[in-house]
Amino acid sequence: MKKGVYLLTSLLIVGSLLLSACSDQKEAAPSSTNTTQTEQGSKDQPTATPAASPAGESGLSAPYDAADMSKLPAVAKQRTDTIIVGLTDPSGAFTPYFIQSGYDANVNSLLFSSLVTVDEKGLPIPDMAEKWDVSDDQLTYTYHLRKDLKFSDGSPMTADDVAFTWTLLFDKSYDGDSMIPTLPVKGGQAYKEGKAQSIEGIKVIDPLTVSVTLEKPNATALVMLGDKVLSKAYYGKDYKFGQLEYIKKLHSNPVGNGPYKLEKFIPGQEVRFVANENYFKGKPKTEHFIYKTSEGDTWQYLETGEVDYASFSATTENIDKLKSLGFVNIIPYTPSTYGYLQVNLEHEALKDKKVRQALAYGLDRQSIYVDANQGAGAVANIPSSPISWAYTEDGINPYKFDTEKAKQLLDEAGWKEGAGGIREKDGKQLVIHYLGSKSKQTDIFIAVAKENFQAMGVKFEPEVFADFNSLVSKVEGGDYDLVSFSTPMLTDPSDGLVQFVDGEIKGYDNPKVKELYDKGLATSDIEERKKVYKEIFQLLNDELPIIFTSYKKTVYGYNGRIENLAVSPFVGLANSLPDWSLKPAQ
Amino acid sequence: MSAYLTKRISYMLIILLAASLLIFSLYALTPGDYISNNIKLSPERKAELREIYGFNKPLMERYGIWMKNAFHGDFGYSLAQQKPVLTLFNEYIWNSFLLASVSTFLTWLIAVIIGVVSAYKQYSWFDTLVMVLIFAAMSLPSFFIGLFLIKVIAVDLKWLPPGGMLTTGSNATGWAYVKEVIRHMTLPVVVMTLLGVGSLTRYFRSNLIDVIKQDYIRTARAKGLKESKVLFRHALRNALLPAITLVGFELPALFGGSLIIEKIFNWPGIGQLYMQSFGLRDYPLLMGFTMLIAILTVIGTLISDVLYHIADPRVRLH
Repeated sequence: MKKGVYLLTSLLIVGSLLLSACSDQKEAAPSSTNTTQTEQGSKDQPTATPAASPAGESGLSAPYDAADMSKLPAVAKQRTDTIIVGLTDPSGAFTPYFIQSGYDANVNSLLFSSLVTVDEKGLPIPDMAEKWDVSDDQLTYTYHLRKDLKFSDGSPMTADDVAFTWTLLFDKSYDGDSMIPTLPVKGGQAYKEGKAQSIEGIKVIDPLTVSVTLEKPNATALVMLGDKVLSKAYYGKDYKFGQLEYIKKLHSNPVGNGPYKLEKFIPGQEVRFVANENYFKGKPKTEHFIYKTSEGDTWQYLETGEVDYASFSATTENIDKLKSLGFVNIIPYTPSTYGYLQVNLEHEALKDKKVRQALAYGLDRQSIYVDANQGAGAVANIPSSPISWAYTEDGINPYKFDTEKAKQLLDEAGWKEGAGGIREKDGKQLVIHYLGSKSKQTDIFIAVAKENFQAMGVKFEPEVFADFNSLVSKVEGGDYDLVSFSTPMLTDPSDGLVQFVDGEIKGYDNPKVKELYDKGLATSDIEERKKVYKEIFQLLNDELPIIFTSYKKTVYGYNGRIENLAVSPFVGLANSLPDWSLKPAQ
Repeated sequence: MSAYLTKRISYMLIILLAASLLIFSLYALTPGDYISNNIKLSPERKAELREIYGFNKPLMERYGIWMKNAFHGDFGYSLAQQKPVLTLFNEYIWNSFLLASVSTFLTWLIAVIIGVVSAYKQYSWFDTLVMVLIFAAMSLPSFFIGLFLIKVIAVDLKWLPPGGMLTTGSNATGWAYVKEVIRHMTLPVVVMTLLGVGSLTRYFRSNLIDVIKQDYIRTARAKGLKESKVLFRHALRNALLPAITLVGFELPALFGGSLIIEKIFNWPGIGQLYMQSFGLRDYPLLMGFTMLIAILTVIGTLISDVLYHIADPRVRLH
């Protein structure tokens, strides 16, 4: 049942906000982030709870069933074949790979299925491809499609459509944010430069088999390439190399292969879907589905029965309120992201590992991210979400809050207490200029950090931005010491590591990390990869090129009439949606 | 008159040209751009996209391209919404216009009535009470009163829907559709009217008080005219004259949307769209919308000048 997955995490990521709670996520990606998240399999409770967070602190550790369905508002009782979910801002342009926001990615995940999706641990499972082979040298991936796949207009889907989709993304005028063009597909670069008529590495073997050859192994390629498929007959009719303008005209009339078809888009109001009778797993159980344009965490629509599903930060207050509504089921969920403080490694003081470690010890992350949030968070110490298969705490320093230890490290680094209790070295004061986006979380951070830094003898100068874009450009300009960010949704463990190897963190260049990163991608053997990631996590946990801060915890509240609902951390609700059904109202 | 209009219109064009350059530069100089927003892109990909979108060209060249297209009626293609800017305006502006026109109408109607009564009965208990209430309404933050009404009327009492323009999933047409929209717009219109009526009432009240003290009112009364005739024909007409200036300013407001109200009530208007676009630095949409407001403002002032002339022959147009 999972469908649309995508490593593409990205797309979702960014977008994913949608459903989820946005507010604190703003921290990093304003528009994005939200994530889709998931709960980790609702039924069997998590594993997920990161040890770092004192387990059980968040108010909800297992799914909770509605206690009093008679409280269900009349509006919601009357619906017989329609489920409504809030989505912040779908734009109406729904062509996969060309979408500009995570909201549209959510819409997409219902309109289009993928070749390969991921399970709740992030491991690949078949979707439209019934199986796949990876060559021994890890360079060639062969996808075997299911028989009788159809697009929503009834036309057959074949390997040609898959090859067309991949090829299109290597066009030089492609302006979307798919990561596929960054894969080292053989001949991809030549095609992009116009030196070849087609991409050498992409081969259609027969109508149900297509293969792609890379120049260098990459373990994420299987899921990344196993993404959504565009109909060549529809999206490729007018395609000429270097000219993708025509596709804009098709954005509002998607032809997909997912569980639902687009029925109607009402700008700023609703996206209406109707079940796709050509869906390869059979027509979904609920005939109509609607994404209603609204913030993901607005109470009033859930309370009045106008939406059936909403996500909230897992604070005790929110959970109690959801329980008191009586008619909502609640499931806990940890998004596949991590929060961190990016450190300006080009600043003299922060180049020193000891200073960074001192900051990690000296910041009371437990108070900032867990306690002040009423348990809706957990402390992070590695660049991986606790729900990932690669997550480990083995050999990881938890940097437990310890002001004395922090002071000692700063002393060792040569920063001695000077006038006014501020540490100095070579006549310069230790000043930390912090940037954060305007949010409740930032306010808490500043309040607590101010005390923490003072105790350490560090001067703290916070600056808050209401506009995420301004914050990013200030960071790009290098005028900061620390800045709060959170990652987009991470599917593969390597996703959370990209920033350490692609030059995004300026001033960090560790050949060992690069080597391990490549090693982690060079094999598809999970056990093998786990070992590599453990090594990287330990290394980064010690070096702290960024200071890891927190994981978020959210809850989903949904109408107790909905059955079979599950949310995946990686694909949101798309995988279970075809099975959702409404039981009769009481 | 026609010479006057020709002159005015040529000034307007110059003003708009200058405004467009200024607006364009301001948006281009705001920190960050559409690409920097996307945190998942690698630095190389960001550079590639800036090339594709032309963000790396010099400012004047970008402005030139924009102007050239605008003269051809092409106001650009929204990067975030993936639609031509004009199409988007057409999809969203009328929703904003609906809210704004109804609430503006109600605001003026109520303000004139209350203004007249309280001016006529200056310092009466009615006047005092109304003034207190009006100040109270004016000082309420719109988000507070909006959320408060949603909580009480929509969530607790369930009399009206909490937001949006249609019942989700509704297929209503014709009269049923109209009724549905009216139900949904009631709360936002009430809030907008409540917030707007205060200052306007004060304005009419003080204008009328001034006029009532004029000699010609005394003359009218001395002639033995009925009080209602004195009030409405002689006093009110003169008191309303200065309000014509305000009419011109209302024009951009009618189409500009209301950021806060639309957000709170989840109304599919242009104000919300603009706010989102600003956060995303969706230049074509920002530029197009701001220019539209500039054009409406200039036209609005022209209209009010001409109306003033028509209403009051003492006013000469030069």
